[in-house]
Amino acid sequence: MGARTIIPFGPQHPVLPEPIHLDLVLEDEKVVEAIPSIGFIHRGLERLAEKKDIHEMAYVSERICGICSFTHGMGYCTAIEAVMKIDVPERGHYLRMIWSEMSRIHSHLLWAGLLADGFGFENLFMQSWRLRERILDLIEETTGGRVIFGSCKIGGSRRDIADDVMARLLKELASLEKDCHAITDTFMEDSTVAKRTRGVGVIAPDDAIALGAVGPMLRASGVASDSRSLGYALYPELSFAPIVEKDGDCWARTAVRVREIYQSFDLIRQCAAKMKPGPVDVKVSGNPSGEYWARLEQPRGEVIYYVKGNGTKNLERYRVRTPTFANVPPLVHMLKNIDLADVPVIVLTIDPCISCTER
Amino acid sequence: MSFFKKSPWLLHYDASSCNGCDIEVLACLTPVYDVERFGIVNTGNPKHADILVITGSVNEPTREVILNLYNQMPHPKVVVAVGVCAATGGIFRDTYNVLGGVDTVLPVDVYVPGCAARPEAIIDGVVKALGILETKAAALKAGAAEPAAVEGSK
Amino acid sequence: MGLGKLSFTALKGVFSKPATRRYPFEARPPIAKSRGRIHFDDGKCTYCSLCELKCPPDAIKVDRQGRVFAIDHLLCILCGACVEACQKGSLSMDAKHGEPWTEKQKLSWHTEAPPKPSGDAAPKA
Repeated sequence: MGARTIIPFGPQHPVLPEPIHLDLVLEDEKVVEAIPSIGFIHRGLERLAEKKDIHEMAYVSERICGICSFTHGMGYCTAIEAVMKIDVPERGHYLRMIWSEMSRIHSHLLWAGLLADGFGFENLFMQSWRLRERILDLIEETTGGRVIFGSCKIGGSRRDIADDVMARLLKELASLEKDCHAITDTFMEDSTVAKRTRGVGVIAPDDAIALGAVGPMLRASGVASDSRSLGYALYPELSFAPIVEKDGDCWARTAVRVREIYQSFDLIRQCAAKMKPGPVDVKVSGNPSGEYWARLEQPRGEVIYYVKGNGTKNLERYRVRTPTFANVPPLVHMLKNIDLADVPVIVLTIDPCISCTER
Repeated sequence: MSFFKKSPWLLHYDASSCNGCDIEVLACLTPVYDVERFGIVNTGNPKHADILVITGSVNEPTREVILNLYNQMPHPKVVVAVGVCAATGGIFRDTYNVLGGVDTVLPVDVYVPGCAARPEAIIDGVVKALGILETKAAALKAGAAEPAAVEGSK
Repeated sequence: MGLGKLSFTALKGVFSKPATRRYPFEARPPIAKSRGRIHFDDGKCTYCSLCELKCPPDAIKVDRQGRVFAIDHLLCILCGACVEACQKGSLSMDAKHGEPWTEKQKLSWHTEAPPKPSGDAAPKA
């Protein structure tokens, strides 16, 4: 048994694009404990609801995080619409679902690249990000922004997708889906990837539930939990089943996300087939009075929005519980009794989004 | 063009960005925008870096980190503030934990507008910064004194 | 990876077009809907200040009496709320992204009030 050493990991670390700080307590090469300290990106966004009116908050809400920006805007709008009892037109819902699935594909490809970079597979990193640019082009063509979509508003969608653009989008998505196999096959079949991820960072289903894991993290441990099954927007109209893996290790989490990419392609096709011409938004007047909890499935897992309105144009309280915040306790649990060199891979497989966590 | 003469290395730090500008900075380094064509390399070590790229507004915990990184970088150096949050605080400037743009802490040379700033805009900003870097290098060569380290003031 | 697949991948790499956009030398054609930068057309503006009201980061300031429109591009989050609010078509979204700045500066426009119609229609101050 060697002496205990504490290694600081972050806040500025090459493997992390965002600052998070972990104090890793080591005995020789084994991590015995990890103590996270967060707060580097805290901005105090929830209190901004007191200064910006409800319609402006939709833009602020999107800027909780630039990777899953659309779902943040959608969740906020869903909550406000529930309080104000607004019926969003069908086409508005379908557009929202298409964009939220596109942002899931973009987020998972981005994460796949970062994970590959984390275990030193530089080529796979570059290839994932090359494919990701194609989905960003489609997003830019339909919404005008690459990462911040700005397309969700209270009462529906701010933009419509014309039929010819939709046809081109579906064609491009089909070709992208074909090309994605090149990288996802590598993730699933390559022996070097398996060596770095199989059996690393295992979390049992009971632990995952007890520690409050959400999203792909929970599904990789064999728990079929997907907030899209709760039936927000028009997800009940689509046919899909939560993607589940059994092993609960880094490989299983990778497999869940890889399979979710293809699930999202399928969901976009289903949406496009069911979409009918019609209005995309309704006029909203008045101020919200009442409270609501909205639960949505983000690329990273379940996200919860709480809004409380008091009849004025500003919300009384706005609260967001983001998936990475829920996944930090399981992460700390997984970081016990592992090799120091595995820390980046395990940290990356929870798909950390620090700006969500700290807001 | 000026950016063929040297191979500047950049250091990226996320002060309190929403990730939008961060992933666009990273996108500049990946195949589609590939700034490595110009010899620009993303380094993790401040002592290797010439350009400090900061995304996001400055808040209380990151203020110290930014100062620390900036003062470790060798002269000549330039600071590029990417995105409107890094320039002025953007939409977050009214929040209680945001001090404002990067220029509340450091002298900023180039501001890149956009929310999130596009990779094209970031490349434009870095190219502009390289021109400033060269003037600074020439001034140092001509015998100008090195600027003093920036002190944090409470 | 088998030798066949390996040589196929290598050959594909040789014959396919590079993925890289040679940006500063060749700009790609702008995407029409792209939100790049707010464009202000001072000929059409009536200085009604609706855009100021809708702007989430308060980047736009309109002086109704002095007929001055000012926008801070380093505060603008490019959401397009002002473009939607503008009744006169004076604000539009450019697909081209904004240039980098070396110093902070607020852009402002001022136009003289149109000559008042003769008679008793002059507005009260």
